[in-house]
Amino acid sequence: MRWCLALLICAFVATVNALSSSGSRLLVVLDETTEKSTYSTLWSDLEARGYDLSFESPKSDKLSLFEHGERAYDHLLILPPKSKGLGPSLTPKHIVDFLNKDGNIVLALSGKSSTSSAVSSLLLEVDIHLANDRSAVVIDHFNYDTISAAEKHDVLLLQRSTPLRPDVKAFFDGEGVLALPRVAPQTLGSDSQLLAPILQAPATAYAYNPKEEIPSPDDIEATGSQLNIVSALQARNSARFTVLGSVEALEDKWFSASVKAPNGKKVPTVNREFARQLTGWTFKETGVVKVGKIEHHLATEGEVAAEDLNPKIYRIKNETVFRIEVSEYSFDKWVPFEVPAEDALQLEFTMLSPFHRLALQPISRTETSTVFGTQFVTPDQHGIFSFRVNYKRPFLTNIEEKHEVTVRHFAHDEYARSWAISGGWVWIAGLWAVIGGFLAFVIVWLYSAPTVNKVKKTQ
Amino acid sequence: MAESSLDVLLKGSSGQRTRGLLRIIIILTIAAAAVASRLFSVIRFESIIHEFDPWFNFRATKYLVENGFYSFWDWFDDRTWHPLGRVTGGTLYPGLMVTSGVIYHILRLLTIPVDIRNICVLLAPGFSGLTALAMYLLTCEMSTSPSAGLLAAAFMGITPGYISRSVAGSYDNEAIAIFLLVFTFYLWIKAVKNGSIMWGALAALFYGYMVSAWGGYVFITNLIPLHVFVLLCMGRYSSRTYIAYTTWYALGTLGSMQIPFVGFLPIRNSDHMAALGVFGLLQLVAFAEFVRGFLPGKQFQKLLTSMVLLTFGLGFAGLVLLTVSGVIAPWSGRFYSLWDTGYAKIHIPIIASVSEHQPTAWPAFFFDLNFLIWLFPAGVFLCFQKLNDEHVFVIIYAVLSSYFAGVMVRLMLTLTPIVCVAAALALSSVLDNFLVMSKPTAETQAKANAKDAKIYGKMKNPVVGIYSYFSKAFVTGSLTLYLLIFVAHCTWVTSNAYSSPSVVLASRLPDGSQMIIDDYREAYYWLRQNTPDNAKIMSWWDYGYQIGGMADRPTLVDNNTWNNTHIATVGKAMSSREEVSYPILRQHDVDYVLVVFGGLLGYSGDDLNKFLWMVRIAEGIWPDEIKERDFFTARGEYRVDEEATPTMKNSLMYKMSYYNYQSLFPAGQAVDRVRGVRLPAEGPQLNTLEEAFTSENWIIRIFKVKDLDNLDRDHSNAVAFEKGIKRKRATKKKGPRVLRTE
Amino acid sequence: MPAKRHAASSTAAPASTTASLSSGPATLKSNSSVFDIAGHVWQQYTANTPQRTLLLDAFMAFLVLVGGIQFVYCVLAGNYPFNAFLSGFSAAVGQFVLTASLRMQISDSGATSSSKPSSKGKNARFADDEEVEEGISHERAFADYIFGSLILHFFCINFIN
Repeated sequence: MRWCLALLICAFVATVNALSSSGSRLLVVLDETTEKSTYSTLWSDLEARGYDLSFESPKSDKLSLFEHGERAYDHLLILPPKSKGLGPSLTPKHIVDFLNKDGNIVLALSGKSSTSSAVSSLLLEVDIHLANDRSAVVIDHFNYDTISAAEKHDVLLLQRSTPLRPDVKAFFDGEGVLALPRVAPQTLGSDSQLLAPILQAPATAYAYNPKEEIPSPDDIEATGSQLNIVSALQARNSARFTVLGSVEALEDKWFSASVKAPNGKKVPTVNREFARQLTGWTFKETGVVKVGKIEHHLATEGEVAAEDLNPKIYRIKNETVFRIEVSEYSFDKWVPFEVPAEDALQLEFTMLSPFHRLALQPISRTETSTVFGTQFVTPDQHGIFSFRVNYKRPFLTNIEEKHEVTVRHFAHDEYARSWAISGGWVWIAGLWAVIGGFLAFVIVWLYSAPTVNKVKKTQ
Repeated sequence: MAESSLDVLLKGSSGQRTRGLLRIIIILTIAAAAVASRLFSVIRFESIIHEFDPWFNFRATKYLVENGFYSFWDWFDDRTWHPLGRVTGGTLYPGLMVTSGVIYHILRLLTIPVDIRNICVLLAPGFSGLTALAMYLLTCEMSTSPSAGLLAAAFMGITPGYISRSVAGSYDNEAIAIFLLVFTFYLWIKAVKNGSIMWGALAALFYGYMVSAWGGYVFITNLIPLHVFVLLCMGRYSSRTYIAYTTWYALGTLGSMQIPFVGFLPIRNSDHMAALGVFGLLQLVAFAEFVRGFLPGKQFQKLLTSMVLLTFGLGFAGLVLLTVSGVIAPWSGRFYSLWDTGYAKIHIPIIASVSEHQPTAWPAFFFDLNFLIWLFPAGVFLCFQKLNDEHVFVIIYAVLSSYFAGVMVRLMLTLTPIVCVAAALALSSVLDNFLVMSKPTAETQAKANAKDAKIYGKMKNPVVGIYSYFSKAFVTGSLTLYLLIFVAHCTWVTSNAYSSPSVVLASRLPDGSQMIIDDYREAYYWLRQNTPDNAKIMSWWDYGYQIGGMADRPTLVDNNTWNNTHIATVGKAMSSREEVSYPILRQHDVDYVLVVFGGLLGYSGDDLNKFLWMVRIAEGIWPDEIKERDFFTARGEYRVDEEATPTMKNSLMYKMSYYNYQSLFPAGQAVDRVRGVRLPAEGPQLNTLEEAFTSENWIIRIFKVKDLDNLDRDHSNAVAFEKGIKRKRATKKKGPRVLRTE
Repeated sequence: MPAKRHAASSTAAPASTTASLSSGPATLKSNSSVFDIAGHVWQQYTANTPQRTLLLDAFMAFLVLVGGIQFVYCVLAGNYPFNAFLSGFSAAVGQFVLTASLRMQISDSGATSSSKPSSKGKNARFADDEEVEEGISHERAFADYIFGSLILHFFCINFIN
């Protein structure tokens, strides 16, 4: 049965042969090459999806994330080292730099050994907090594997969670039970907007160090869904950083294990599928949104000439059309992006603050993209405006488009002429009456000139 | 111009061609001297546009030349006042730019390839030559003695009060406006004297030109009606006055309304109401005069009384109605500040912050006008003696402008012409009296100095005269001495005080050689070369025009201070803590912040010395957030050293000025040479900005605004992380933990 | 009060039909009413004005009429295209003023030949000045007038666009 499933997944993976949208160089940092065999299924899965795997020990001299100032790898998978720290070439600073340069990282933690202070301070930078006691693990007395952790209750059995917000696409859901042995607990700070939990602990979970006494309820730092098992940070440049609490869940052993919850049936784990989802998302195989063409122009009948496209300057009260083409990457190809039902892609026409905020409607669809668009009238305020599309959702790469255009005032010849305003006719008539009168007067005057002189002379 | 002056000259000396010719030569020499003395700056430095406002005028002129008149008229400038933009075509006085544009095209037509920059640089000296000519004409109207005209022209040509605004490179509205001012007055006097529609219409045309060139046209708008009004009150009404004034007003007002920036102001604004009132009054008076022609006195008085009562009642009711309904705008703020020098400081700090708007210091009068200042009252007194219509004009002009010049430094410029006229009148009358029938010795002495004191005036036979040789020689000699001193003073002032472009600074090394400090241009060219084309630069508004002109980058605020709130926003960003400033900078898309820091060089015109104005202007809009008091120590001192208040030390301006400054000095030895204080050993920290550029002498410092942190950290935390300081784990917080809601 | 009104009406339109008054007394007593005075003025005026000046006055009356109508319309119907109103109205006013100037020049220089009542009082003091400078011929005055009017019309047409 298990074998069958594995084969099925294998076949599926092989046929898909996905490739990340952002490169295929993957560096795996693990302690000893001997350990490598423990995760062989994972490696073969990744290789099958088109990654070039390199393995390095953290202590290795050759290990360097950068080469000539550029990233040497596109992705990074860090397994928890046995020794303290990650070594001189994987300091938190290096890892942050790697993120800032668009590299994606999966960092696995383990509840078996205490987490190094380097990793802890790195996580602190992104507002993920580990337990004060570095050896703490997540315990749940209701959702544990009765087969492997009948005593310690430290192998959690969980369903993959459905999205927490209605406007978020589901990347990590599916049927089946995950087995997560010895999870290092994480809590997320409340300030960072970039963090999103992928998998939260069940309501009955709590964290403590099994080697010590059971703590008093007051000392427990976090419980229930405040404890995260897998959490993700998507930086502003859309680099992804995933923290997996339990490295063991990636082992071959747990890919193919069968587990039994209290009062439950014995079922195979879906760890392998979850690992695919997790690495696929982190290494940008899914949830990648790309903006294609952006067009804006004056609303006109018929086709818009190329030189009228994307003008730099508009006038106030112009009828304007805006179009944006968005695609989404799905494992191996670009497909049309679809906005979740309860969400909207919005356009802002803004100067200091938005003057318009309009939902963009899907207008047409190509093989790889959807074209969204809207039409509006520029406000009666001149200035330097920008078309902004700012679409940031958890697990989707950020869309932040900003196109500056100038909105100018009416030119001197764009106001209505006086004769076009019926109210002005009176005054135009008045003016011409004056001018006509003047001309008539001049003519009469010139005509009458000699007589006057004669009269004067006779006088 | 030259033709008409020629005409007048010949007419004035009919039959005496030699004198006429001599006069023309003298006038031309004066004009040449006027032009030449303004070229110091080009020789000392180079052919460069000076100061601040000229840079905008220069930029606008370039736009005009490149894009033609119509697009200049409709010009919407999206590179200033980001993100508001400026309707530049409708908010400037186009006279200056159009003038140089026309000159440029004429020269092109004559196949003289000349750079528009050189036209702009040399426009002011060129027009000062014309001003000397106009001055000659004006003064000739005042006095029968032709020496007065020549003296006035010579004074006008070299007096520092005028040179200060018209050296080569000072491409400002005043450059042509003073010529127009003088010439309009000349035409006006001519119109009043002749009672001719043509002169009135010409005066109106030049008035229209003046309106298109300078906001100071309001001075004419009020002076001429005042002149007419005084004439009326003195019982000097005549049909000539009526013709001159009504023609001027009707045509001039319509003409001024053709300028988009002025628009309906002549009808709406209270500043212009006096002219309208006098216009109406004159109609009534004219009608009364007309009726009087038919009536004996007694009946006329009766009719007059009833008419006056009626008109007064109607006029008053109308005024009340209009003011209540808000058709007539109240007086503008700048106008109030003319009457109450404290007004601006309280209500409109933005106006008060301009050094040009400060009250004039007494020495400045002597500095700018030298011995003319004490000849001035004498000339005015002489006008009282003759008292024709034109002399009344001189008196009114003199009184008004001396008051205004005392209120605002910049109005010294309007005072200068009348001082020259009056002084020339006085001096010429003295010289005429003392040189008549003089011995050849005195004449040769005078001839020797002919260039300064043109004493070749027509000599009438006086009824009385001074016949003692000694007194003649003494008075003439002393006057000549004064004239010589005046010329020396003018030359000295021009070359030393008024020829600095302020973009380039000059200083003397200990060995006496000159050192050019070119930090401004260094920094502006850095911006031009190293930043994206639409990188927004924030600086205090003084440098807006220069950045726009030299660096060609969009700015947030500039010297056209039309939007107080926007300037206050910049002031707030400069005077607040980084945490407050950063969102403001982000909101306004600021990419770079530019500050001027003179601490290293001892350059006193830097931003920290202007800082209090930024604070005051910001306080005017956000009195709750910015408080001027917080920038003073408990003892009320403005300090930047160890004792500075925390608000001061945390302000963005302070941090940017002194960022890394201590690294130039041995530890604890950092000294600010402008304020002469020792700075704290620990320099300020900047988190949200990073230093991008500092010029050679540290005068200009440019900082780049950081993007939001990639990992959504505070900038201070990010900087600390970069420096390798380990973040402290949030140890147990007091109170309940804030839980994440998702 | 009513008398005043009449005076006012004659100020506004010297040539308007107050014809019934023209049969007033030829000479005025010192205590005659404002009403009578106005009548006297009118009589004097019709008697003493040369034909050419009458033509000028007729034109001025026409201008006052045009201007008056525009003003009344503005008060009643509002001044919506304000620039149009301004240029229409000020064209009338400006032309009136220019014509009045022309009239003054014409009648001033004609004063010696015509038997106009000599001006009394204040004006007399400056009689000398005037005579010295009053060298403006009719032709010159008229040319000036045309010059001024053309500028005025140009501005107005430009302004009304």
